[in-house]
Amino acid sequence: MFSEQLIGNLIQGLVLGTIYGMATMGLSLIFGVLKVVNVGHGAFIMVGAFVTLFLFNALGLNPILAIPVAFIIGMALGYLFYYTTIKRLIKAPELATLLATFAIGVLLEEVIKLIFGSEFRGYNWAVGKVSLGITVLPLSKLYACAGSIIIAVLLYLWFNKTRAGSAMRSVVEDSEGARVCGVNVSGTYALSFALGIGLTMASGVLLTMFIPVGINPYMGGGYTLKAFVIAVLGGLASPYGAFFGGLVFGLLENGSYTIFALIPGVEPFALTRFFSFVMLLIILLIRPTGLLSRK
Amino acid sequence: MLQVKDLESGYGSMQVLWKPSLEVKRGTITSLLGPNGAGKSTLLATIFGSVEPWGGKVIYEDRDVTQIPTHKKVDMGIALVPEGKHLFPNMSVYENLSMGAYLKKALVHKEESLELVYSLFPRLRERRNQMAGSLSGGEQQMVTIARGLMTKPKLMMLDEPSQGLAPKLVGEVFETILKMKEEVGLTILLIEQNADASLEAADYVYVMHEGLIKAQGTPAEIKQSADIREAYLGI
Repeated sequence: MFSEQLIGNLIQGLVLGTIYGMATMGLSLIFGVLKVVNVGHGAFIMVGAFVTLFLFNALGLNPILAIPVAFIIGMALGYLFYYTTIKRLIKAPELATLLATFAIGVLLEEVIKLIFGSEFRGYNWAVGKVSLGITVLPLSKLYACAGSIIIAVLLYLWFNKTRAGSAMRSVVEDSEGARVCGVNVSGTYALSFALGIGLTMASGVLLTMFIPVGINPYMGGGYTLKAFVIAVLGGLASPYGAFFGGLVFGLLENGSYTIFALIPGVEPFALTRFFSFVMLLIILLIRPTGLLSRK
Repeated sequence: MLQVKDLESGYGSMQVLWKPSLEVKRGTITSLLGPNGAGKSTLLATIFGSVEPWGGKVIYEDRDVTQIPTHKKVDMGIALVPEGKHLFPNMSVYENLSMGAYLKKALVHKEESLELVYSLFPRLRERRNQMAGSLSGGEQQMVTIARGLMTKPKLMMLDEPSQGLAPKLVGEVFETILKMKEEVGLTILLIEQNADASLEAADYVYVMHEGLIKAQGTPAEIKQSADIREAYLGI
């Protein structure tokens, strides 16, 4: 009975983990290329969620179609914030970009609150479900999982098979070296930031496909924190590390939830959050460069 | 081929270049000598554009390129081999060299550039699948110069290419520089701490001190002037 429940939850965790992984790739990409920690990460996930909500409720559009829409809006917002804010601060001490991205996050939250209000919202996309015997998976969750994997694979191919991708990798390795090879380094910074934000907003769509409720302007904070834990799990600067970090995190979160639920008198959901931070602390103590990093 | 006129630049509010001017003639090796902190590296970086010029002019092939961004300068045939190597450590030697041929104009000539580079540095052919970060210091320096050659340059600026190398390897680096001038037909602007070797290889010499050109002449003239040698070169 318990083992069935655990396996069922782990399957859910694995599916959610692919989405968590995809939702952290943007953060890792921006950190890897620009060495900027995007504290406003979760706010962009939130905007992606609202894009989905708006397209579904107001226009009746399928959430799958919201993925490219959110990605494109994210790219545009990424370029906007890069050229108005980040570009000026890139050589400044790290605190400047931390404050700037924090401020961008607050700005997004308040703008969304102004437009949509602060109540919790959701949408109901009924596309059926699959029964796996042990657990039941709504198709919307499976689509989100498949979407995450496809996007991760596309990003991998883009990185390794295209000129723009190799330029980005070279900037990650050594920006001065990239410059003397003729890479347009400042253009690559802008593209990386825009791409990172685009991916993050697209992940906001995928997350609502998994959890289509609780959409509100302040939903991003929890995702920022989870993304930090996942990014550290995966080695911070590597988008693929982040993807696998997400899988590990999804499994641990859902697995620990099942176990905590056995303890009488505790609220298991609150404990999983505690557990993820204990995990972060332990990883930072043992392997400060990340569990999955090369060094 | 290259003229620098009254160039000014620096970092933050600290001015480093105080209007040095120089000229590099086509097909020659021009050497820039001077003590540490004279502004030699800053001069190359400002010519290249990785440090922003505050004033003055950089003329390349009769064109004012002072404000042209670095990636366009590479495309025009200006290469900088930076101090401190700046390789891509987690890429193989081959991938590092391929990055040198990143721009379309260089990419067209990638195969012949690779042949040239492997003939100048046979060891890089053997090491082509090894990660650049795992090479010895001398081999890494070879990759840095080779990667610069892959950009298909006409003018190559080398910043301390023999720094930190064993004496035997220093000789090899200078042989390579001479070969690049004579066999490849490159024009070279060279910064070196090693004044003796530099005076041997150069066709013309500028002596820099505190952000200014203090003296210039043929290597023979510089060697003859005891004042210059004592005041700026310590030889």
